[in-house]
Formats: sequence, C-alpha cells, structure tokens
Amino acid sequence: MTLVPITYKGGIYQHDIVTDLIEDLGGYIIQKHVIAAEVVLQCFVPRDDIELIRQISKPLFGEVTDTPLVGTEIAIVSMSLEIHHLPHPSCDIAEYVRRIGAKSNMVSLARGPGKRIAGLNDEERDVINEHDIAVYLMGNFETCIEYKMPTLRRGIEVPIVLCGGPDKETLKKIIDPPVDGYVGNVGRFMRRTKEADEIGKLDEIVDEITRVLEKKREEIQKDPLSVSPARLMGLIKEKVPAIHAVTSPTPLTVQMAGLRVKLPYDTFARDLRQLEIEDGIKLGDISEIVPSRMRDYILVKILPFSETNTVI
Amino acid sequence: MLAIEYFEVECPEPLGAEYYRQITNDVLLDHNLLRVIHKIHISIDPKVPIFVAVGILKKITTRVRVGDFANVNPLEGKITLVISDETYLAPMLKIFWQKFGKDHVEQPDRFTVILYDVRAELKEIEEIIVADPSESLYKDLIYAFRCIAPEGFRLRSEKFSKEKFSFVASENTLPENIDEIVREKFALMGEMP
Repeated sequence: MTLVPITYKGGIYQHDIVTDLIEDLGGYIIQKHVIAAEVVLQCFVPRDDIELIRQISKPLFGEVTDTPLVGTEIAIVSMSLEIHHLPHPSCDIAEYVRRIGAKSNMVSLARGPGKRIAGLNDEERDVINEHDIAVYLMGNFETCIEYKMPTLRRGIEVPIVLCGGPDKETLKKIIDPPVDGYVGNVGRFMRRTKEADEIGKLDEIVDEITRVLEKKREEIQKDPLSVSPARLMGLIKEKVPAIHAVTSPTPLTVQMAGLRVKLPYDTFARDLRQLEIEDGIKLGDISEIVPSRMRDYILVKILPFSETNTVI
Repeated sequence: MLAIEYFEVECPEPLGAEYYRQITNDVLLDHNLLRVIHKIHISIDPKVPIFVAVGILKKITTRVRVGDFANVNPLEGKITLVISDETYLAPMLKIFWQKFGKDHVEQPDRFTVILYDVRAELKEIEEIIVADPSESLYKDLIYAFRCIAPEGFRLRSEKFSKEKFSFVASENTLPENIDEIVREKFALMGEMP
C-alpha cells in the first residue's frame, strides 16, 4: 500500500466523516487546522483510495489536492534576520511552502551576510542537518555566492536547493561541487511577492524542492524505514499523553525519515525508547532517539530495514 | 521613477545592477524619499567589495502648518478644526495643549478638535507650524541606504549636507581614496561633491 500526501479542505460541518474515512482506509492525518468554519487536513492516504475520498467529500463541498510536501520539514536558510532579507523574500518563501503542506522552519545565520565575513557555526549546521532539505536564500551577486557557498555548506548533509539572483545556468556553473537543486533569479528583493511572475518564481522553488525530495523518497524506498513516521506519530499521540499538553502548533513534526517530538529530552527520552510499537518491539530498537539542537526537543531518527531487519 | 532626474546603478554584473536598481526604487518609495532626491548614482563592486551612493537632494522647505491638513471654523466662541489627514494630529494636539492648556482643547472624535475660549485669530491658528519633515530627513536617508547596501557592508563613511550626500560602505576596511571615488561618481552625474 503506497501512501501519498494530500490536503483536504472543506467545511467544518460533518468533516469527521472524512477523518474517519481516512483512518479506516489506513491513512494518517498529519496536521489538522480549523480556521473559522473551514477545516484543512494534511494527510497520507493510500494512492488507490484518493478517488473514493473525493467522492465522499463531494456532498460536503470538500476539496482534495495533491500536496507533495506534506510530511516534510524544510529549513529555509536566510542569511540574517535583518530587514535586508526579511520579510521578503525569506518569509514569502517559508510561507508559500507551507501552503503545499511542508513544515518550514526559518534558520537565520548569525554571520551569514557579506562575502569574506560569512560563516556557519556548529549549532546552525546541526539545526539545518535535522531537516529533510535546506533551501539556501542567497543574494544577488554571483561573485559573493561563489565565494561564500563553500563555507556555508560545510558539514551540511541534507540536500540543498540554492536560490540566488543570477540565473540558473550561472548558479550551476559557479557552485562546485554541485548542490541538489537550483532556482535562479530569486535573490534579495524588498517587496512582497504578489505579481503573477513573482508567484511563478515561488512555484518554481516548490517544484525544485519537490523534485529533490522525490529523489530522496525514492532512495528511502529502496531501503524502507522500519516504521512509517506517520504511524509513529499516531502511536506517540496514543501512548504518550504528555504530548497533548504541548502548546506548539505541531507537537509532533513528521519528517521523511523521522519525527521531531516537542517534549523535553531528559524527561521523556527513556519513555520513548521503551514505547512498545508491536509484538514487543520497542521504539528504541528501531530508531535512534537523540536530543535535538532545537530547544530541548527530541529527535527520533527511524532506522532502515537493512539495520534492524524489521518492518512494522 | 519620474521624480528623479538622474538614476543610475553601476555594477560589473549587469543582472546584479538591475536587481539593485529595483531594490533602491522599492526602498526609497517605501520610505517616501523619492520626492527629496533629485539625482542619484549607485556603484557596487562585489569583487572589492564596495558600495557607493552619491546624490543631489531637492530643496524641501515644506513645513507642515495646521492649515495644510485641517479646516479651521470659528463659531460662537469656539473654534472647530476638521482634520483631513491624521498624520500630524498627535504633534498638533501636543502644541495646542502647551499653548492653550488641556482644559481648552477637546477631541470629540478622530477627525475633530474643538478649542474653547481661545484668544487667537483664525489666521494665527492656521499658521502654527506642526512639523518639519526635513528634521528627520538625514536619519531617514541614512537608514534607507543602510537597507539598500548589501548587508554585510558594515564599515561606512557617510556625508550628508543640505544639497548633496555620499554614502560609502564595505565589509573590509574602506580604501584611503574614498574622496576620489566619491568625486568620480559625482562627475558621472555632472556634479561636484
């Protein structure tokens, strides 16, 4: 059964019919937003059953759309927190990928700007590496991008999508060794992205992120994970009641090969390791539970089948 | 950009120059500074790296008076002011309180101010100077150029006078011949520093 990410948008009235249906079909609801009288569900559902969900949600005026970035956590790496980069373009891009279902975090570098002076510290490096993909938002000059990129990518293990002012071909030419994705003509700008061509650029960024993540998904499928992160999310919700007291918008953030649990590591890591998934298999057996560099959260890295010899 | 007579951005990378032209336009527009700039020349060389902005300012003598944004109507011992633009309402009230006392000034709603028992002529009230936008002009200009300049360029040398300005920034120590560079850029506009 292949689970695919979708978003359901519809009225709040009788939306529980849809939630029950998704759960009955073996799908998982990753996030649920209730905005006034509208409900937005970001979920994983079996590929063959999408049409059935569409049919059942039709009388409720619900809309089902493909959102390939559901279940991914993206780092939008901004060179600084100054007015030069915020709110445009960093926030515009971070907000836009959220619409397609991703959970985006903005990582702003302490010493990102400039050419010679640009740098990346160990905390920033580790935080970026905790994500599924990093989107680097660079400036307008190819000279600066070429000069500082080797420093800013040092130690980064996740795929990088590079956005910068020069066109795509120039970016490809100046970055050595190559990164996973490039989007040209998106450098520093000081106005809101609202015109059709600007929105087109945001779509191009999303397409590039999707392409890179699809490649990563294919890699993961070659050596499947011991347990699906979405399923693990449901289990933790069921068996760790403390997660319901967390006020964060996403107490459990699903990643492609793991989960960020927003509970203190010292208090809850042992409980999580002992959490029984099925037939005596504990979470500690099939995953690495490590402290996150983001606050005192817990990071669950699910191990692949080749390491655990188990698939649940 | 019609308000500016001369507006050039010079850069070895043509695409970079185009972006910086757009950024300059957006920032000056956002800060409402296009109306004060007559000529501007920006030069950026990311290889050095250095950012130079030189320009000529327009003469702004427009002090804002009460009569500019309020309709003053004297009626039966009281003077009613109908405000058309709220921007200068707060400094105007402050001046009225100082001049006439809080007991004589009343603001029944957002757009109306009533003065009671005030011994002043209609003309006199209309002529009260409420604000002088040129006071904060240099501060606004420096802030705007800090926004326009590439971000890491924190070493700056700036000169702002009544008519002309120059702003040089870099991330490295500024070159010794700044004055010469500034003079060259002014010459491109057909001006002297």
